[in-house]
Amino acid sequence: MTGLMAYVGARLEVVDPLGIIHVSELVKDFRRPKRIKGALGGLRTLVTRESVIKRAVDGIDFTVDEGEFLGYLGPNGAGKSTTIKMMTGILQPTSGKIEVAGIVPWRERQRNALNIGVVFGQKSQLWWDLPLRESLQIIGKLYAIDPARHRANVDWFVELLDLDPFFDTPVRQLSLGQRVRGDLAAAMLPEPRILFLDEPTIGLDVVAKERIRGFLSALNREAGTTVVLTTHDLDDVERLCRRIILIDGGKVTYDGDVESLKSRFVQQRRLVVKLAAGVEWRGVGIPGVAESIGDEAVELAFDPAEIQVSELITAVLADHQLTDVAIVEPELENVVHRIYASAGMA
Amino acid sequence: MSGSALTVRQRLAAYAGLAKIQISAQTIYRSNYLVSLLGLLFKVYLLKEVWVAAYPHSRATMGHGQQISLSAQIAYSTLASVQYFVFNPWTLSGIPERVRNGQVAVDLARPVRYTAQMTFGQAGVMIAGLPFVIVALPFAILVGGAEAPASAGAGLGYAVSLVPAFLITLLTGSIVGITAFWTLETDGTSIIYRMVAQFFAGALVPLWFMPGWLETLASWLPFQATTYTPIAIYMGKSGSVVSTIGLQCVWVVVLWLILRLLAVRALRRVALQGG
Repeated sequence: MTGLMAYVGARLEVVDPLGIIHVSELVKDFRRPKRIKGALGGLRTLVTRESVIKRAVDGIDFTVDEGEFLGYLGPNGAGKSTTIKMMTGILQPTSGKIEVAGIVPWRERQRNALNIGVVFGQKSQLWWDLPLRESLQIIGKLYAIDPARHRANVDWFVELLDLDPFFDTPVRQLSLGQRVRGDLAAAMLPEPRILFLDEPTIGLDVVAKERIRGFLSALNREAGTTVVLTTHDLDDVERLCRRIILIDGGKVTYDGDVESLKSRFVQQRRLVVKLAAGVEWRGVGIPGVAESIGDEAVELAFDPAEIQVSELITAVLADHQLTDVAIVEPELENVVHRIYASAGMA
Repeated sequence: MSGSALTVRQRLAAYAGLAKIQISAQTIYRSNYLVSLLGLLFKVYLLKEVWVAAYPHSRATMGHGQQISLSAQIAYSTLASVQYFVFNPWTLSGIPERVRNGQVAVDLARPVRYTAQMTFGQAGVMIAGLPFVIVALPFAILVGGAEAPASAGAGLGYAVSLVPAFLITLLTGSIVGITAFWTLETDGTSIIYRMVAQFFAGALVPLWFMPGWLETLASWLPFQATTYTPIAIYMGKSGSVVSTIGLQCVWVVVLWLILRLLAVRALRRVALQGG
């Protein structure tokens, strides 16, 4: 067995049918010294024992099944990173339960670390001054990976992520895209059951993003790795995630698939028509259709539950000659923007 | 794969790997080392000049009831400068930088102990300086001076006592480093630490020339065990070699416990309050 086959073979030893991540009534409070304003405020802040409690995570519940690809989304400050840090064992919950692959992360941080891989888009786990090759070597030691398996995995990642052209270049000289590929290889080398990704594609160009998405998709599909992704890039989500959890103000506001999210939050579809030269817009005369007339095209917003598309198109064609007609489905980008905005967060 | 934690043997291999990777990382700072070696030779030379000027014509004086010859004093200051140079690279500890830039999150997601990762890494940084010193030593002796060890046993005792001396330096530096979890910024503390540590280590002036109260103070601090103690053993001025090394080892244990205690508190602070 070589490459992918060996990796998959090693990975699929255990599948927990009851779910691999369990989070229930999870709460995290941060205590910060109270800032005092006014005269000598800075000094009084320093000596005061008063503090303010900020609730970052406020009673979150969810279960993730092994093999899922979960998008964990929310505006800045919603509590995403705090939850991830609790799942990696860096933070201890104020109350509630959390279990990752049968381990309570904050109680057994080091043992939990053997089951998870973490990639922070803004931080690297690689050794800055050394070639990527040496970083991957030491990671083999840190996770006590069997040497033969280590070699096979490195070969596979070099091929799959195309690391060869820069494998012997010091990490400091790599482009951001190359570095993130190196970080992904480093995170996945120990064959973790769960991969946490915190904004992995931030700052990358389209080609680099696409390459990383391809890798993540293959990893999840072929090796069955459970992936939890936080990102602000909703193209990532549409391409990769079958399930989304949306959090805001420390609470889960949505948990389900991408399609239902769209239909739940955006009832409207839009019909875009382009008029033939010299034709003037005369309206369709159907109640419930909002018209907006532009220079090039006319946009008609409607609720598909009340008005049939065919009915609308027929009405348009009855009075106008067209060069083009298109139905615009809602984009996740707009949907999420709308949700954030309605919560007063955007 | 999921289940058991790393065995002791696997952990040691991991820590050794972390030290080794720091050794190779330091090779890119070769030219820095070479430049700072010139600084070392300059220091050795200046100290020699000062001692020659300070000593009476008889070329011998008394320090704490012992006769200290000029040549012994020059040998001391040469050896002390070289030793201090190896044990104290530019960074005392990797902790403050990694706390400041958030890399600590990466370290905490590893399956091995945080403080061990940091101290073994720092040990690698210190070991990386050794080859340069071996090259510089003959020059230092040329510029300064040297004396043979008081006896074969003293020579052996010296070599052995360098191990706890190394560990004490490593641990005190790490203790200063770990305060970054509370203060974020340790530059000021580090400067004071270096000053105090260098002085009380006897790296500038040996303890035998310190006034009684200062020597008493120095002997109650761990720093003298890093520089003064090994050289005093070398020169046969330390009393019982075994008990002197034993005392060094007590310091290693005490400092290790302090570091562990601080680390537990630091990580609890992170766990409760966030980064």
